[in-house]
Amino acid sequence: MAAQDNSAQHSAALLELRNIQKWFGGVHALRGIDLTLQPGEAYHLLGENGCGKSTVIKIMSGAHAPTSGEIVLGGETFASLTPIQSLAAGIETVYQDLSLLPNLTVAENVALNEQLVGANGRLARLFDRKRLKETAEKALAAVGLPTDRAFLNTIVSDLPLASRQLVAIARAIATRAKLVIMDEPTTSLTRREVDNLIHVVERLRSENVAVLFVTHKLDECYRIGGHAVVFRDGQCVAQGPIETYSKKELAELMTGRSIDAQRYRTGKPSDTDRLKVDRLVAHGVRETSFSVKKGEILGITGLADSGRNELAMALTGVVPATGGALTLDGKAVSVRSPAEAIQQGIGYVPEDRLAEGLFLDKSIFENEIALIVARLSNSFGVVDREEGRRIASRLSEEMRLNTRDIDLPVGALSGGNQQRVLIGRWLSIAPKLLVLHGPTVGVDVGSKDTIYRVIQTLAEAGMGLVIVSDDLPELLQNADRILVMNSGRVVAEMDAEQATEDQLYKAMLTTTTETVQ
Amino acid sequence: MSVSRTEDLSGTAAQSRSFSLGELVRRRPETITFTLLVAICVIVTIVNPAFLQPSTLIDIGRASVVMGLFALGVFVILAAGGIDVSFTAIAAFTMYSMTVLVQTYLPNLPIAVVILMAMFGGVALGVINGLLVHHLKVPSLIVTIGTQYLFRGFLLSFIGTVWIMSLPPQMGAFGRMPLFQIEAANGALITLPFYFLVLPIAAGVTWWILNRTLMGRAIFAVGGNADIASRLGYSLRTVHVFLFGYAGALAGLAGIIHVCANRQANPFDLVGTEINVIAAVVLGGARITGGTGTVLGTILGVLLIVVINSVLVMVGIPSTWQRLVVGSFILLAAAFFVTRQRKKQPSISGENP
Repeated sequence: MAAQDNSAQHSAALLELRNIQKWFGGVHALRGIDLTLQPGEAYHLLGENGCGKSTVIKIMSGAHAPTSGEIVLGGETFASLTPIQSLAAGIETVYQDLSLLPNLTVAENVALNEQLVGANGRLARLFDRKRLKETAEKALAAVGLPTDRAFLNTIVSDLPLASRQLVAIARAIATRAKLVIMDEPTTSLTRREVDNLIHVVERLRSENVAVLFVTHKLDECYRIGGHAVVFRDGQCVAQGPIETYSKKELAELMTGRSIDAQRYRTGKPSDTDRLKVDRLVAHGVRETSFSVKKGEILGITGLADSGRNELAMALTGVVPATGGALTLDGKAVSVRSPAEAIQQGIGYVPEDRLAEGLFLDKSIFENEIALIVARLSNSFGVVDREEGRRIASRLSEEMRLNTRDIDLPVGALSGGNQQRVLIGRWLSIAPKLLVLHGPTVGVDVGSKDTIYRVIQTLAEAGMGLVIVSDDLPELLQNADRILVMNSGRVVAEMDAEQATEDQLYKAMLTTTTETVQ
Repeated sequence: MSVSRTEDLSGTAAQSRSFSLGELVRRRPETITFTLLVAICVIVTIVNPAFLQPSTLIDIGRASVVMGLFALGVFVILAAGGIDVSFTAIAAFTMYSMTVLVQTYLPNLPIAVVILMAMFGGVALGVINGLLVHHLKVPSLIVTIGTQYLFRGFLLSFIGTVWIMSLPPQMGAFGRMPLFQIEAANGALITLPFYFLVLPIAAGVTWWILNRTLMGRAIFAVGGNADIASRLGYSLRTVHVFLFGYAGALAGLAGIIHVCANRQANPFDLVGTEINVIAAVVLGGARITGGTGTVLGTILGVLLIVVINSVLVMVGIPSTWQRLVVGSFILLAAAFFVTRQRKKQPSISGENP
């Protein structure tokens, strides 16, 4: 709220949010957002994960209703929008998940919505195939995709990810949009495709269309230019022309603290190998070899389909490897299932902690001891609760949970505290190797800090750690080495102290086709 | 710039242009159904040439009508990612109630009105399904298991349990009305009943709705991913209500035809045949997880099941074997579809040529 709209042009504003509040259950996601968007302008919505960026664009596109506040659109004031109202007003969104319908054709995905919006959401209408084809051809050509019949009729689930992203963008510009919202539109694009997208954006702006980017890639923001809008913890903390802010200032605005203390990494790895991976093959992973030393933190990154997720799951038996060998502390081990991994001393903190890791309606105590229930029970299978409670209390303390009450259900905790419960659970069996998959996804800044410190403590105690993440600063700050995966292989290995985000991105995005050309 | 981009991505397009059998089967799984159907017909004809007689074909046509109507309804719901097991109960409910109504209160009601009323009854019950599915946010399988019991229970408790052996005359006449008749070799008169026409018409209408209206595209969109569809502005409520209403109309129609064709109304009839119908739809290439399938495939699936049920006897295979055959076909076809699907799964980018 610090920066109000520049009152001069608010009569012509395209969209205005006034004091928008949003609660999800007990979580205050948006704490009074005021935002005015002008036609033909580019906006960059910046902020850390979980700061409310996605929520605000969902409110603009009608996917969520705000808890309170007003939305002014085309001179009318609304308490909330429906998707059709938003689309009819010319607000098009390219979601991070792309929101493509996998079973429909490219042409239908691009151009069907024009007809749906034209019919004002009413479905008892004829479907105009000729118009579908024309609209699709125009939009596809604008983003540089083929427009031949075969491509128009390709089922979207058969397309590679980069083409899907462009198809999603084509849909957004297929109609006469007034505002195009793009939620991390460039994550899976190659450099050339990004250039192309920037052309598209320039063309849109010249046609007086406003564009709102949600992105982490500051370099692209500077290239595109326009307004920076910085969110932190559900509040808008700064607004203004992006060129007036330095990268460092933006980062500080996003995190809310000085980020000079860049690296968390404290210890040094020893010389002995903890884990050796020899020519590991798994679904989506091709012959990959590397090692992790005792006390080392190894970062692994890559695009979503690079094989990094599959590698994490193969190491931990979630989706067992189909070939290759693992050696843990000099002993060959086989990891055919998570249970075997646990026996061998390999722990896994999954990316989706809610679906794969935690029992939300159970207490912290029960979650913490989930792995050691067998050890805590006597020969009759009766669990020694006293011992369990002592262990759970100790773990909560080590993990610096913000509550002392271990009977609280985990679902009542914040994302960061939930993640700490999950990591704490693994400490109960003192694993030799801990694989953390996106350890701070959806975690607030303060918790991030704590989690990073805990990770460092674990490494100092000699545990081997593997962090699989697409949060590059996270890897640069915490790891000793970073492996970059691309198309199922490790394509680069970098010293985390010297590497830069740019180098990592380059390795992630260089596709085989591009190296050929 | 678009020129260079076109070259870039034409690889993708070329991939879909290249024609191969595997690709054909993957995009049009009903080719498998068709092949199975033809194979069975050829084998049966070789073993017993009597199969190709017009009378057999007419029998198959007649036997396909009720199941085909059900299957179209199931297919439409499956296309939107749902499933319905209450349609037989809807059919039983409407057919029996209409028969009772006509017999006791409105003996002179013209048959066209009878049929329309049965369809409206089906729509009403179907809409109940649709609203429940939408507002309870419970999977449609559970909802329709519930309503199947409910509709059937209501029918048997409040409307009647008596087997009506003599139909009102107009209904019987409709069941006997010929589309055309031919004289068989042995001199017997074989009739293709007029009501047979209902199936191709219903199939045509269903095809038209699915492929030529926004509702049809919305149904597939919801079957692809309901959350995304709703985010894009498709009204899930409208789609759900329409879907189940339409399936209900088809069920009501199937029910009344079933009564007229059999010349009796048995309130205990039909319920229990759901799995057979769902099997036909799945054999026709529609995925049980929704979003795919075609009307043609559905009809082929129905024909396949009807042929198996009616002709195995002609080649000397005991009728108890029908289930074995249908079961193995379903497993075979399903395994085949799934492997094709898995092979095409776009995985890591470098793997595609």
